[in-house]
This record gives sequence, C-alpha cells and structure tokens, in this order.
Amino acid sequence: MNVYKVLEIKQSVFDDNDRQAELLRNELKKEQTFLLNLMSSPGSGKTTTVLRTIEALKDEMIIGILEADIDSDVDARTVSGTGTKVIQLHTGGMCHLDAEMTRQGLLGLGTAGIDLAILENVGNLVCPAEFDTGAVKNAMILSVPEGDDKPLKYPLMFSIVDVLLINKIDVGAYFDFDFEAVKERVTKLNPGITVIPISAKTGAGIGEWADWLRTEVRNWNGN
Amino acid sequence: MPMHELGILMGAIETVEKFAKKNGVTDIQTLVLQIGELSAMIPKYIEDCYPAAVAGTLLQETELKIEILPGNAICQSCGKVFNLIANHDACLSCGSGDWEILCGKEFMIKEIVAC
Repeated sequence: MNVYKVLEIKQSVFDDNDRQAELLRNELKKEQTFLLNLMSSPGSGKTTTVLRTIEALKDEMIIGILEADIDSDVDARTVSGTGTKVIQLHTGGMCHLDAEMTRQGLLGLGTAGIDLAILENVGNLVCPAEFDTGAVKNAMILSVPEGDDKPLKYPLMFSIVDVLLINKIDVGAYFDFDFEAVKERVTKLNPGITVIPISAKTGAGIGEWADWLRTEVRNWNGN
Repeated sequence: MPMHELGILMGAIETVEKFAKKNGVTDIQTLVLQIGELSAMIPKYIEDCYPAAVAGTLLQETELKIEILPGNAICQSCGKVFNLIANHDACLSCGSGDWEILCGKEFMIKEIVAC
C-alpha cells in the first residue's frame, strides 16, 4: 500500500511566467528591441492609438506590431495598411498573453532590426494585469466613455502600468468624466504613473505620448 | 464560463506536473491551493473549472483543496491591522481609508499530497 505524504511546493502560480518574462526582457535588451505592452478594454481605441503612434515615430525608428486577439485578423490588416511589420496572434480563447506566447509572437515577427515592438494585448482589464509579458514598459488606455470609476473597479491594472493614456478626450463634453478624479485615483494606486490625455482620432496629445515613448525606447536601446 | 480562472489554473497545473516529475512523484491524491481574498481569483470558479484544467494531466484523478488567505491591511493613521473585506475598506478602529495591504493578493500552490 502506498503511503501518501505532503510535499510542500509553496510557489506563486505566477512564478513560472515571471521567470520567463525576465528571460525575455534580458534577450530584448541584447537585441536592442524595446517591447511595449499595451492593454485596455475592448473598444477603447488601442488599434487607432497604435496607428497614430506608428505615424508619429516611423521616420525615426523601426517599428513592429504584435496584434493579440482571441480570434480574427481585422486589427493586423488595419495596421499592415501602414506598411509596418505586423503579426497577428490568436490566443485561442485565452483572455491574456503570457511571456511564452509573447516570445512566440516576437519570433514570428522577427526582432532583428526592430527598435520598438508594440504588443496590442487582448482587450481586457483583468487577466493581462496578472501576467508579465516580458515587456520593458506597460501602458494602458482608458477611454472617456468607459467612465472615471474604472481605477476603482480594476485596481490591479492601474497599479501595474507605467503610463495611462486617457483616450477619446474629443468627446469629453458628452460624458461626465472627471479627469482630476481619475488622476487622483490612479496616483493613489500607483504614485509613479504618467497620465497623458489623448485623442487618437484628432491626434491631440499624441505628441506628448510619442515623446514619452521615444525617451523610453532610447534609454532601453542605449542611443 | 470562467475563462480567466481556467487559463491561470492550467498554468498552475503545469507547474505542479513539472514539480512532480522533478521529484519522482507518480501518484497525486490532493492539490492544495491558497487564494487570497483580494486576488482576482474566485474560489468557486477555480473549483468549477478544475476538472477541465486537470483532464489528461497527472492530476486528472486528484482532489482540489482551497485555503482562503485573509485580505488584511494596516491603517496608516492608527496602525491597526484589520480585514478589508469585513470592514468594507475602512479601518476597524479609526475609520480611516488610508491603509496599506499586508496580505490577501496571493494565488499560491501550497502543497500536494502524493507518493
């Protein structure tokens, strides 16, 4: 008769992924590729923001885009219209990308010569916050119609990002969106966060966003 | 459909399988997970999707046990340690909303009962 005994594991469920992510970041450092993980709810304007970002920075750096969705390739097709290198990743029903999936995506894209890779994560404010993708910096978009109470409802997401883009400010007048309340709420969760109001539609604020990103890319790539 | 829990649980099961292989474990009876009250995991959903997550793995026939870890904070005004859920995010002693989380965000693989 077998004797069962207790074997202690004591490991966070996220440890494995965290290790993979750290490895990936080290490789990206050697490759001189800056990876930005862009997260938000569905419909907040991620793809339009990506297009604006490409437009603002394409003359000074080589950009590659990873589009992650549960299904379809509509975002990848939209982005490929700009002539930028893009790859569509299907998560096959999964609500987030982990470091290993990101690695596969970067392999498919080919990081050689890419200065800035942008990972457009699955539209979701819960799961992507739990998984380090190996990105150098994390950004999220909160759009005005979603409401200023989102930092209260999804605190983890707002506490792990380096920069928050508040998108669709062009329709601000139609919504009761309190910019100051958002800033106060996110700063309480995340004192080091940078908040940039933008309109991906009109281009407002994109200059400030491009400046932030340019500085980060240069710092990482060492030039 | 608790998609969020399923994906994360499948990752956890993979970690346990790796641990089992490394330690020469072939027969697992029970898996014990620890879930913090403030984590994004809902124990009921974890239980619901457990059979799907373990299907075809070393853990297929195992029992799942979940231990809940309290979501505690320390008050920045008076220093009292209190449970955030039971006290609705306000200090038990002075009512302050200025506190720091001490524990409760964990999602841990605690142990397995195996041979």
